[in-house]
Amino acid sequence: MGVTCVCQVPVAEGKSVQQTVDMLHKKLEQLGAVKQGNFWVDCETYQATGNATGQPTKLLYVMHNSETPLSSMALFEGGPGLTADANFDVLMVKLKSHFQNAKGHKVESRGTRYRYCDFLVKIGTVAMSSSARGISVEVEYCACVIPGDCWNLMKEFMQSFLGSSTPELPAVFTSKAEGLYAPVDCMDTMSQYLELFGKVRKQQVLAGSGVR
Amino acid sequence: MEAPPVTVMPVTGGTINMMEYLLQGSVLDQSMESLLHRLRGLCDNMEPESFADHELVYLLKGQQGNPFMLRARRSLLHPTAPWHLRYLGQPEVGDKSRHALVRNCVDVAASHSLPEFLNEMGFRMDHEFVAKGQVFRKGAMKVVVSKLLRVLATGNTENTEPLSLSYLVELSVLAPAGQDNVSEDMRSFAEQLKPLVHLEKIDPKRLM
Repeated sequence: MGVTCVCQVPVAEGKSVQQTVDMLHKKLEQLGAVKQGNFWVDCETYQATGNATGQPTKLLYVMHNSETPLSSMALFEGGPGLTADANFDVLMVKLKSHFQNAKGHKVESRGTRYRYCDFLVKIGTVAMSSSARGISVEVEYCACVIPGDCWNLMKEFMQSFLGSSTPELPAVFTSKAEGLYAPVDCMDTMSQYLELFGKVRKQQVLAGSGVR
Repeated sequence: MEAPPVTVMPVTGGTINMMEYLLQGSVLDQSMESLLHRLRGLCDNMEPESFADHELVYLLKGQQGNPFMLRARRSLLHPTAPWHLRYLGQPEVGDKSRHALVRNCVDVAASHSLPEFLNEMGFRMDHEFVAKGQVFRKGAMKVVVSKLLRVLATGNTENTEPLSLSYLVELSVLAPAGQDNVSEDMRSFAEQLKPLVHLEKIDPKRLM
């Protein structure tokens, strides 16, 4: 696993989510990228019960990534994260009287996985309750684990197919104590997805998105 | 760089509930050597594994009912190994003639941010201890012989003192629910360890 950057791509003017995704697929294929399976990332929200009144309820997010199918990642927004094995989900079921699963809040991104030399590009449709709400693009440079060493290369690669939608350096890398030279881990990728899912939840339902 | 098989869905609630079957006993320090000797003979032919673990017990106090307990364990011999988080349910009240203590068990491997994460969830550490000893296996059965040590200063595992003059001996099996022959096998194995150690079903509620 390498350095990943997750960003949201706005739906093209006058087009649907699916059409914009197809446009991105075409651009990647023209570049020479090869389709290599599918991917999904999902996020479930749990609310802590029993908090004293006046205190904001803590939200616990449990996420899964098809790149690491046997793991579950749990995080608090802006707080500590935990990487655990798939049994963590069974444990959350046991904890249901203390942490309630907000079922309507489940967000997931599903789509195609492309490989271009050492890059893995995943274009996903972000959906909540079966309605498409946006598009996520994840670019992973598999040959490197230090963001500071490869960010410029990643940005140049992203510009070749994302154009003006190319993101800036993700905040998750600059906010670490050792800065850009700390090795990445899967929690960095999931924090970025969590941020993207949060933005998508807040956006209004896109016109014409409908049921997938 | 091949895509992992997307059909491998994550395990969610609804999986086979694993049960832990348990028999416990103890043996005085001076009788340990003879017990180890017999276990080496009876158990699977492999070098018994030594361990030194630090276990922290966390409680989450809810609005009603008993606090929720979780056990977090890490190896002092292999500091980079993942933490082991364990949930043990209430003992199954059933057949009085069942020979072992049966309870639901969920084991989760977790990263090193576990203590901080549990605190963020609302868990508070209730107590901690160090366990040092050896593990033996016979098929699916696991025999753990451990010395329990009290941690004198919170978090400092260098400074410990033994809790008693004996070793705790535990015979356990992890199996899916409904396998009653497991406790039979455990009972016959426990018979072979008599009179060195008497392994029996100990109801944790009686000790509270």
